[in-house]
Amino acid sequence: MLGGRLRRLAPLAGAVVLLASGCAKKAPQTTLSPKGPEARTIANLINPVFLVAGVVFVLVLGGALFVAIKFRARDDDDFDAFPAQVHGNFKLEIGWTIVPAIILAVIGALTVSTIFTLSKKPVAGALHVQVTGQQWWWEYRYDLNNDGKFDEIVTANDLVIPEGRQIALTITSRDVIHSWWAPALNGKKDAVPNHRSPLTIQADHTGEFIGQCTEYCGLSHAQMRIKVISVSADEFTKWADNQQKPAANPTEQAAVEGWKVFAGQCTSCHRVNGLKDPSAPTKDFAYPNVVNQRAGVVPNLTHLMSRTTFAGATFDLRKSDDSADGRYCKALGIHWADKPADLTRCLNRVDLEAWLLDPPGRKPMAPGPAMSPASRGMPNLHLTGQQIDYLIAYLSTLK
Amino acid sequence: MSTTDAALPALPSGEPPRTTRPGGVFARPQTDTGWRSWVTTVDHKKLGIMYGTAALFFFVIGGGEALLIRIQLATPNGKLLSADLYNQVFTMHGTTMIFLVVMPIGAAFMNYLIPLQIGARDVAFPRLNAFGFWCFLFGGVMLNSSWLLGHAPDGGWFNYAPNSGVIFSPTHGIDFWNMGLLITGIASLTGAINLIVTVLNMRAPGMTMMKMPVFTWMALVTQFLLLFAIPVLTSAQFLLMFDRLFGANFFKTAQGGDPLLWEHLFWIFGHPEVYIMILPAFGVVSEIIPVFARKPLFGYPFMVFSGIAIGFMGWGVWAHHMFASGIGPISVAAFSMSTMFIAVPTGVKILNWLATMWGGKLKFSSPMLFSIGLVTMFTIGGLSGVTHAVAPADTQQTDTYYIVAHFHYVLFGGALFGFVGGWYFWWPKAFGYALNDTLGKVHFWLMLIGFNLTFGPMHILGLQGMPRRTYTYKNGYGFNFWNMVSTIGAFVITVSFLVLAYNILASRRKARKAQGVGTGRLTMAADPWDGRSLEWMLPSPTPAHNFDEVPVVRSLDEFWHRKYGEEEDGRLVRIAATEDVVQKGTNTDVHLPSPSYWPIVLAFGLPFIGYGLIYSLWFAVLGGICVVGGIYGWVMEPSVDPDAGHHDPEPGATEPEPSGEAAADEEAALVD
Amino acid sequence: MRRLRSLTDIAAPSTTEAGIPVAVPDGESHGLSHATSTGISNEKLAMWCFLGSECLLFGGLISTYLLYKDKAVRGPKPHELYAIPFTSVSSFVLLMSSLTMVLAVSAIQRGDQRALRAWIATTALLGATFISGQVYEFSVFLKEGMGFTTNAASSAFFTLTGFHGVHVTIGIVMLLSVLVLSLRGRLPQERAEAVEIVGLYWHFVDVVWILIFTVVYLIK
Repeated sequence: MLGGRLRRLAPLAGAVVLLASGCAKKAPQTTLSPKGPEARTIANLINPVFLVAGVVFVLVLGGALFVAIKFRARDDDDFDAFPAQVHGNFKLEIGWTIVPAIILAVIGALTVSTIFTLSKKPVAGALHVQVTGQQWWWEYRYDLNNDGKFDEIVTANDLVIPEGRQIALTITSRDVIHSWWAPALNGKKDAVPNHRSPLTIQADHTGEFIGQCTEYCGLSHAQMRIKVISVSADEFTKWADNQQKPAANPTEQAAVEGWKVFAGQCTSCHRVNGLKDPSAPTKDFAYPNVVNQRAGVVPNLTHLMSRTTFAGATFDLRKSDDSADGRYCKALGIHWADKPADLTRCLNRVDLEAWLLDPPGRKPMAPGPAMSPASRGMPNLHLTGQQIDYLIAYLSTLK
Repeated sequence: MSTTDAALPALPSGEPPRTTRPGGVFARPQTDTGWRSWVTTVDHKKLGIMYGTAALFFFVIGGGEALLIRIQLATPNGKLLSADLYNQVFTMHGTTMIFLVVMPIGAAFMNYLIPLQIGARDVAFPRLNAFGFWCFLFGGVMLNSSWLLGHAPDGGWFNYAPNSGVIFSPTHGIDFWNMGLLITGIASLTGAINLIVTVLNMRAPGMTMMKMPVFTWMALVTQFLLLFAIPVLTSAQFLLMFDRLFGANFFKTAQGGDPLLWEHLFWIFGHPEVYIMILPAFGVVSEIIPVFARKPLFGYPFMVFSGIAIGFMGWGVWAHHMFASGIGPISVAAFSMSTMFIAVPTGVKILNWLATMWGGKLKFSSPMLFSIGLVTMFTIGGLSGVTHAVAPADTQQTDTYYIVAHFHYVLFGGALFGFVGGWYFWWPKAFGYALNDTLGKVHFWLMLIGFNLTFGPMHILGLQGMPRRTYTYKNGYGFNFWNMVSTIGAFVITVSFLVLAYNILASRRKARKAQGVGTGRLTMAADPWDGRSLEWMLPSPTPAHNFDEVPVVRSLDEFWHRKYGEEEDGRLVRIAATEDVVQKGTNTDVHLPSPSYWPIVLAFGLPFIGYGLIYSLWFAVLGGICVVGGIYGWVMEPSVDPDAGHHDPEPGATEPEPSGEAAADEEAALVD
Repeated sequence: MRRLRSLTDIAAPSTTEAGIPVAVPDGESHGLSHATSTGISNEKLAMWCFLGSECLLFGGLISTYLLYKDKAVRGPKPHELYAIPFTSVSSFVLLMSSLTMVLAVSAIQRGDQRALRAWIATTALLGATFISGQVYEFSVFLKEGMGFTTNAASSAFFTLTGFHGVHVTIGIVMLLSVLVLSLRGRLPQERAEAVEIVGLYWHFVDVVWILIFTVVYLIK
């Protein structure tokens, strides 16, 4: 069968394409290196097609070159002696109508079968996660108990998944159209407001897979990044348990000051589960009632320090330079902030301070006038250096 | 409009010829020289040249925008443009290149050539034709005026809702996009009606549909696509405009608005639009290749029917732009299959062009080189197109640079290569001098190399996961090298077009010197390439009245067969000298449609209505006065000026004064 | 009185090598029949093309309405407010105007100017009655709390029916122009086709309304 033979040639085609990507030593966002069954299904379909396309490319362009050279008018030609006046050849033309049609029909049949393979309902043991795009970050809500409600975990930027288990994503958006894409795991799916689109992913092994928003969504479209972190089942359970805990009140002096700053400056938009009122530490904090449409729909910060990125995964929360420190920090995995010494050592204070000082200056956003209903992105709150120090001390307690 | 400046002959009755014209605003203008003649012209040839010139003007703007994009992306973390500015630049680059460059270059060829190729004096509705051109120009100028009036559109050429709504794009940019393109849409619609009627109704005797040149055929298919595609875009634009300006709720998601409605409407227009851009270029190379292969086009009926097939199938593939939008596997599968099969008629065309060259005596003049450029580069675009038709793979490719590579191979490697070849080919016919062939070859090779340097690496970038429409990228993604290559390529393309600009100036200067005409009119031989279709029968440049006598057509490639006959063994023999079969252009007794002020007046009012809706209704009042006055003048002016310079063989004969109240006028009133 | 070119003058330069008359651009045809390749006059063919294009415009708007007819976050939905008997009557009025339009075309083809004027005036009047009905209907809807911006369904409804209303209004202007031309003696029997072309437009607008009335008003 043609299809089977094509599939066997797939690795060859893949190699050709990889070769074509030439000089790139490191392409972490590449579509050509699948790390999960869905992405592999796609690669197995497209690699033979690349091969066929490559053959046709060589034939047609080679043919054109051959014709151009062989039938060129030579200088010593008698220009009035005409070539044979061929008006067409019905059989030939029917032939090159039908042959491509057959090739395409085969590719089409394989395509259709793959389309339905990839849109199968999630398996019974799948982990259900709702993915919500908004300008310009991704929110992930987990349904751990399979009750159809995505209410157990609310997090942002990093999608933490257990390795080898199917993840059933439900993708939607709060504002404009975005598109969720982690190329190593599957193709992209648009996040369309008022629509909920399914997508399944699965990671073969542990590791980090990056991607980014791929539907143009305004100013910071380029800075709306995606990170999927695949961990072992045990680690995932540990992570999930921690995520469901509310935040504890800080005790350290600077952090308590930061708590006050947070309650005063940040709570018009941000939420921290279990947040208490700094002036009455046993009472739940009463969030201000504001018209701001972003109230409560910006990243939930309850477990900020369990993430590896912030600001729409634009910046690393851990030191990420190539110094020995940086590598050390990355090697700590998702529980990097558990030990105070590691947290102090690895927290990327440089970017975090710069962000708090002037968010729209660090990432293009349109926060508009303070508390404007049409606000898009984090405004400059004109925090002082002291306030920022306190805030970081407080945020460091949100593990 | 007179075709001669010579004094009018005395009338047979002995009356002296009248030298005064009836006064009043309703008299039709008569100048056929100077700027006034261009402003009031209804001549399809002048309008064709104006379409081309205006398109080149916008090409400089759109090309500049492309260079800004490439400079920004040459290195990671580019600092030339802010995110906001970058979004405006890429939006305007796409919008400009599609609506204000490729489409009008196609319109330029179609306006100039269709009447010549079918043996007509002009298009069916000359004033409507002029009106269309002015709508295109003023719409384009209005769209670009957004740069000067604060903020250009920033929603992408596809302008997906709700990102194009007031909340997410609060500046007036999108309003300019809406108004400007609604106005250019009028140009497309009136042009489509006009050219369809022209092709169907005004063919020379004997020219059956299957004797029409392939360019005219492709133009006809294109115009039908425009006729049906433009109103879909128009309806979508009205919805968006009502949302933005009058508080309607079509794309407000909080009110239940559905963003996919815009996507569907836009792509139902947007995919036929792709064929609107490429089919005229297919027509162009189908004319050029046989001439330089010295063989007839291989499989004329297949070429025609594959064009028609593309036109039909082009309506059934739109959702392949939406494979990632969550439209459900059944739709995806159906559109995946339909998209596969549209490759079949396209493939037929490629192979038929190669078969035309097979066994020929190929002469590689500039037009031929650009045509082969189209055949090969479009093939690459077509093949990458098939890889997107594989829907699962498309979910990896869509919205990455792989797509950018694909459609530039189709629209630049396809449409633009074909059109540039067409410029070199028909330049003598339009302007009376030929472009230098050596410089043309330099232009070709620079453009081919620059093009492949620019867009070839984008395939790799896309497969490496670089998304489109991003103003920057980070280090460490493997994007750096190929982006730099691509930027270098963009500058090579720029140089290639500077060579063209120099070629035009230098060739004209040389021709003027050679002919010793100073700033006067250049002329050259009617048939410089040993051409096949009727336009080569006319003097170069084409006289205002086109044909001294409308030819009676007996065969496909009529002009060729007047020069050459086939012997019994199939060999060609010359049966007539070219000079004997070409027309002299000396017939001064042809009555032509008179020029008119009103198309430009009417079109001039439209952008002001647009500005009025954006800024203050007072502008709209001004615009409205212009439009109403334009329509009134249009309807009231005599359909011909009785004193246009031709003589009256039967003086004394009278007829009721023609009112000009024809259906065409009413339509013009409708389209605004 | 301006002297004008004779008929032969128009035809003479437009003959071919073989003396066969050919189609000429509109500037010269002004309603007189010339040989066109299809046998249909340029103006009529243009109107058919235009109407073909209009189908897609209304197609887009009708699809939009069908998608949105139940999308009302606040305020009433259009189909909760329809007064079917009232709209049926105004639809019938518009339908009848197509009949009078046919009679008008037939009148000018016979050369009966008086009948032409009478039927054209009747058609315009029926059209105006329909428009008045629409204005009244809109005002009632407005009073009942459904304005253009109330909800997605209302936006779609007013846009669709409003576009249609504008088309009818333009049709009335065209009919009145025909009336004026006839009164000024500028519509001889030979120019019957001009009226026929206006008629084509009018019938189209009528047919579109039948479609709108069916899918928008009658089908739930």
